[in-house]
Amino acid sequence: MGVAISESAMPGWVGWLSSSIIWAGAAQFATVSLAGSVSWLTLVATAAIINSRHVMYSAATASRFADQPRWFRWVGPYLLIDQVFAMTAAVPDLSGRRFRRYYVAIGLFFWVGWHICVSLGMAAGSVVPESWRLGTAPAIMFAGFVVLGIRRWPGAVAAVVAATVCALTLGMPNRLGLLVGAIAGVAAGAMADTFAARADAG
Amino acid sequence: MSTFSALSAVLVIGLITYLSRAGLILFLAGRELSSTVVRALQNVGPAVMSALVVSILAGDEGMDGLDLPELAAISLAVFVGWKTRNLILTLVVGMLTLWLVAALLTNV
Repeated sequence: MGVAISESAMPGWVGWLSSSIIWAGAAQFATVSLAGSVSWLTLVATAAIINSRHVMYSAATASRFADQPRWFRWVGPYLLIDQVFAMTAAVPDLSGRRFRRYYVAIGLFFWVGWHICVSLGMAAGSVVPESWRLGTAPAIMFAGFVVLGIRRWPGAVAAVVAATVCALTLGMPNRLGLLVGAIAGVAAGAMADTFAARADAG
Repeated sequence: MSTFSALSAVLVIGLITYLSRAGLILFLAGRELSSTVVRALQNVGPAVMSALVVSILAGDEGMDGLDLPELAAISLAVFVGWKTRNLILTLVVGMLTLWLVAALLTNV
């Protein structure tokens, strides 16, 4: 990310600030790398599409915030990145003050770590050789989150369908295939859930 | 790109990002969701994140962005994650597989 900022058409300090202001890796990456090559509106629209998955995170996490104080309901969402969502979903039994502590701890951990990494990346440029293929690490991390997040078989159906549809729609502009795949996955998971419920009842 | 357009784009995107995360938390927090909705929402994470895996691996090159070392790494990582339920081990095995298969392919 730091390397991408130093190569971006945006002023370096704006790129650096985007870490805190946007605070969403994929959208930030797209913003910084597309800057200068697309229109202002396209830039904003692309980031919004990439971030639309957060609406689903917001819906999925809302019940965890039901018993939280008002200030936390306002501040908490700012920290809700992919990793925080996944790690929150991994501990469904935490609530109240313990949930708040856990959430803020992991949120700040990623926030501070990210800012340090981005700063180092900007300072060091492309010191890490391409052959290390560090760009694949996030994908493996997310694959791990997917596997660990699946509790019942309909979840596996959702994941497989989402990945397949996303792969088939990679040609769509603005990485729209990401969203199409996700929606197809959720729909397939819901169908599998209905089927599972019927099988249980019958 | 001018400083003004860069800064305004970043600010607007930041606001959209916050609203996309905060909207339903602020709006739904006081209410109960039906069990069907809760069950459906449990599939949101796996679905979005597995699509994200494909999207990250492919990059902007479409299917051409996927290569054998990446597919091997993801497959083995998924297997290890499923068997051990250990995220760190999953990442380590995945990266080791990636480097190993890439090295094998360049040397054969």
